Amino acid sequence: MTTCRSVLPAWMLASVLLALCLISGPALAGSRLLATGGVSQIEGAAGGGLSPWGVLAGNASEGELAATAFASVAPLRDYRLTVGGVALNLHDRLELSLARQRLDLDTLGGRLEQQVAGAKLRLVGDLIYHPWGIWSLGVQHKQLEDGTLPLAVGATSTRGSDIYLSGSKLLLAAVAERNLLLNLTLRSTSANQGGLLGFGGDREGGRSLVAEGAAGMFLTRRWVVGAEYRQMPDNLSFAREDDWRSLYSAYFFSPHLSLTAAALDLGSIAGLERQRGGYLSIQFAF
Amino acid sequence: MKALWTTALAMVLLLGGCAQRPAEPTLYQQLGGKPRLAMVVENLMYRIADDPQLIGFFTHTNIDHFVASLEQQLCDLADGPCRYQGPPMDRAHQHMGIDNADFNRLVGHMEQALIDEGIPLGARNRLLRRLAPLHGEIMRYQTPPPTT
Repeated sequence: MTTCRSVLPAWMLASVLLALCLISGPALAGSRLLATGGVSQIEGAAGGGLSPWGVLAGNASEGELAATAFASVAPLRDYRLTVGGVALNLHDRLELSLARQRLDLDTLGGRLEQQVAGAKLRLVGDLIYHPWGIWSLGVQHKQLEDGTLPLAVGATSTRGSDIYLSGSKLLLAAVAERNLLLNLTLRSTSANQGGLLGFGGDREGGRSLVAEGAAGMFLTRRWVVGAEYRQMPDNLSFAREDDWRSLYSAYFFSPHLSLTAAALDLGSIAGLERQRGGYLSIQFAF
Repeated sequence: MKALWTTALAMVLLLGGCAQRPAEPTLYQQLGGKPRLAMVVENLMYRIADDPQLIGFFTHTNIDHFVASLEQQLCDLADGPCRYQGPPMDRAHQHMGIDNADFNRLVGHMEQALIDEGIPLGARNRLLRRLAPLHGEIMRYQTPPPTT
């Protein structure tokens, strides 16, 4: 029953997006260059796989709308993360997103689920044309479905909000005549394992400021390969939390379809060491 | 003696090889020079003509003059044997009401024209890198003066 209720907003947003697609016609489907909206990161914002980037979802520009929908799966050694979500880009100024994460605890048994509602405001700039790139301020409000396990291991809350500042820049013909994408994100968060293990803890109750970085090289205009790094707080005394790393490859078949594959190393999660695995994500954009 | 001659010959050939190494090609050469740039510009013009959102900006434009000026500008930007003699970009576009969506559409057409005419990725990226700063100039005077 709880599940049904929290899924509802996602479906409502999806329906609103679909309706917008149908009524707005040519205004939807943006004019920005291929791949300049990134892909969908695991919390639903436009970004890489792990981190939100400064860019906003889809290809919408001034006076245009764009919508994206994605599904991602990351099978790790002892866990499996599944995420689905949608995002709406209004005039390349404001991005609204909704994502639902499920972490199956294959070894420990059970599952953890949370919903993430996000908003990202472009403060200034442009990925390509502004010399300093594009800078955005974002918020991700996270709500755990069933907080029993996280609270039992020391988390102090089942909900929390991350606030982040993100900057991205595409350097044209930077290395071997190929375009280079750089991204830096600073995040204030109290989330444990992104929120799936609750918020705050017995070791560190408040917020931490963490840094996230990504780089990518466009081997062709459709194909980008790169690496991401996401620093994590360490709030719980029962288990160490490591930083997240990934090596990714994303392919844009068209402005409407991209596929991302990655090798993840999320370190130690809830006492189980070396959580490495794959990552596969598909994104549709309109 | 024979070995000495062989060594000397080898050295001469090696040195000659060094001296004759061709200079790094300019972007203009990489783009295929004047005939290929003319084809890119023609392709771009057809794309603009087919784009209802952009064609309006060209209502009062002398297309032949525009084409010649754009070819000259691209040649100049790419280190070719030309000097762009047209007006500065900010003045040429002032108060036309161009927004970022229009600008992005044009860049999209430009990229597709370069692809259509077989310009390799490296040369495309280098040209776009030189065109990118024009965004600031073109958008400088776009906001129409407030009406009272």
